[in-house]
Amino acid sequence: MASISIRNLTKRYGNFTVIPDLNLEIADHEFVVFVGPSGCGKSTLLRIIAGLEPISSGDLYIGDKRVNGVQAAQRDIAMVFQDYALYPHMRVYDNMSFALELRGTPRAEIDARVKRAAALLHIEPYLDRKPKELSGGQRQRVAMGRAIVRNPKAFLFDEPLSNLDAKLRGQVRAEIKALSQELKTTMVFVTHDQIEAMTMADRIVVLQSGTIQQYDTPETVYERPANQFVAGFIGSPAMNFFPVEWRQEQAVLSQGGTVVALDGETAGRLSKAGNAVLGIRPEHFAVATDAADGIAIDVKLVEPLGSDTLIHFDLAGGPAIARVDPALRPKVGDRINLRPQPGKTHLFDATNGQVLR
Amino acid sequence: MTDAADTDRWIRRLNLVQLVLAGLLIMAPTVWMVLSSFKPSFEVTAYPPTLVFTPTLENYVELTRTTPFLSYALNSLIVTVGSTALGLLFGIPAAFAVSWTRISWPAILTLAARMAPGTLFLLPWYVMFRQVGMIGSYTALILSHAVITLPIVIWVLLPSFDGIPRSVFEAAQVDGCSVTRILWRIALPLVASGVAVSAILAFVFSWNYFLFALVLSNGDTKTLIAAAFNFIGEGSTQWGALMAAATLIALPPLVLAALVQRWLVSGLTLGAVKG
Repeated sequence: MASISIRNLTKRYGNFTVIPDLNLEIADHEFVVFVGPSGCGKSTLLRIIAGLEPISSGDLYIGDKRVNGVQAAQRDIAMVFQDYALYPHMRVYDNMSFALELRGTPRAEIDARVKRAAALLHIEPYLDRKPKELSGGQRQRVAMGRAIVRNPKAFLFDEPLSNLDAKLRGQVRAEIKALSQELKTTMVFVTHDQIEAMTMADRIVVLQSGTIQQYDTPETVYERPANQFVAGFIGSPAMNFFPVEWRQEQAVLSQGGTVVALDGETAGRLSKAGNAVLGIRPEHFAVATDAADGIAIDVKLVEPLGSDTLIHFDLAGGPAIARVDPALRPKVGDRINLRPQPGKTHLFDATNGQVLR
Repeated sequence: MTDAADTDRWIRRLNLVQLVLAGLLIMAPTVWMVLSSFKPSFEVTAYPPTLVFTPTLENYVELTRTTPFLSYALNSLIVTVGSTALGLLFGIPAAFAVSWTRISWPAILTLAARMAPGTLFLLPWYVMFRQVGMIGSYTALILSHAVITLPIVIWVLLPSFDGIPRSVFEAAQVDGCSVTRILWRIALPLVASGVAVSAILAFVFSWNYFLFALVLSNGDTKTLIAAAFNFIGEGSTQWGALMAAATLIALPPLVLAALVQRWLVSGLTLGAVKG
C-alpha cells in the first residue's frame, strides 16, 4: 500500500505533448478517479503510473520510491484493463495465480489467496473454466480477482466497466466501491463516465488536454466547480449556461434581455464583473408560482424519468433543460415560470471560463 | 426470375469446368509420375503412353537395389529437421520481437533474402564453407537451408503474434513477467497452431529445396532430391527408377499437407481477424 506522487510530469509523442507539466498527489488508501473526455490524457496517465508508458520528463513516486525507470513488472501494482486482458489459454484459477507463481509464492498460499479472492468476487464455480466460457461480467470479476490476489501497492483500473451493459455496470460499480472499502488499498480508476466518477471516488481528477481542471471531492467538484469546463462535464444532464450582464442594477440575459432574479451574493459578483456566464444546473431551477418572479419558458420536450421529469426549452437563443417535480405533469407547449434557486447558481468569467467567486 | 436461375446454373457449370481444368493441370503430372512409377520399365517411355498396364514394384526394387536410397532419405530428414528446428529456434523470437517492437525492417530483410535467387548465396557460401572445411557436412546444409526456413517461420508467425491483443502482454508485464517470459508463457501457447503451420511449411520447403544440396553436399550427405538428379545419366536415364524416386520424395510433403490442410488454411490466416 502506498501513496502516488506525480511531479512536473510531461508526456510527449514526438512533437505532440499529451500531458504538459502535471502535478498530482494521491494519498495512501485513497480512491481517485481520473475523468475527462476522450483524448484528455487520463489513460496515458494511468499507463505511466503502471509503467507501460515512459515519462518524457518529471518524476513519479510510488510510496517513497522514484519509479521513473522501473519496469512495470517491478512496480508491484495491479491493473484491470478495459478489455479484461485475461490469458485466453489459462483457466480462471491459473489466470489468478500466475502473478503469485512468478513471485515464487508457496503453492499452499497461492491456493488460499486465489480461493479467498474467488469467494469475495463470487467466481468460485468458474475456477476451472477458460475465459472464453465466461460472460462479460464474469470475465470482469476474474480480472479483478487477478489483481486482488497479489495484494499490490495500488490498483489501477482502465475504464473497466465500459464493456458491460448498463445494469451490470451499476452492479460492478457498487462491488468495486465495496471492495475498495474492504481492501483499503490505493486505487486509481479511469473513466469518461462522470456518474462512475461521482459514485466511486474519494477525490476526482477532472482532466482536459492533459491538464488538471480540478482535483477535489465529488461533492466539491459538483457544488463548486473550478471552471466552466468542469461545471459542464460533471452532472447529468449538463449544467445550462447563459451569458449574462449587469444592467440598471439587475442581471439580464445578454441575448433577449430577460431579467434573471439572482441571490444577493451572486448579483454582487456579477455587478463587479459587468458580464459573465451564468451556470444553472437543471435540478436547480424552481417553478415560480408568481409569474413576475420567474422566467417564462415554453416547454418543447418532456422526458418523464419517474423520480423526476426533464423539460427542454429554449432560453437566450440556446437549448436548456430543467429538472422538475413529476407531479407538475408538464406538457409540450405549456408556459412555465422558472427561477434559479438562491445560492445554487454559478458565475464564470466570460473570457477564460474560470469561476467568479 | 427464370433468367436469374439460368444465369446461376451457368455460373455453377462454368465454375465446375474451371475447377476441373485447374485440377487436371495441377494433378496430371503428379498422376502421370505416380502411375509411371508402377509401370514396367519398358512402358514408362512408351508412346503413346499406356493407360492400362499390370502394376509392378520393379522400379522401387531397382531404386533400392542400385542406390543407397534410404541413406539419402535419412540425409534429407537430418537436413530438413535440422533446418526447420533452426528456423523455429531463431524465427519464433525474431517474429515476436518484430511484433513487440513494431520495428519491421528485420523481417522485411529476411523476406528479401528468401526472395533472392539461391545462386546469390551459393558462391560465397561455397567459398566460405570450403575454407573452414565444411563442404559436404550436415552443418553446412542445415545452415544454408535455414535461409529457407527462417523467413517462413517469421512471416507465418508475425500476423499470429500481431493478432494477440496488446493488453494481454501488458497484463503479463504488470503481473511481473519479463519480455522473454511473456514470449514463452503467454504468446507462444496462443500461437501454437501458427507454430505448427510454420514448422510444416518450413519442413516442406526445405525438403523440396534442391540447389544448395547439389553443390554443398557430398556422396555421404546428398539429400534425396539432389540424389534423384543422378538418375538422369549422360548416356541413358532410368526413367522408371526416377519416377519411383520422385513419388517417394513427394510423399512426405503431400501427406503432411493433406493431414493438416484445414489447419494450414486457418494458420495462414491467423491474426487476420481478432477474436
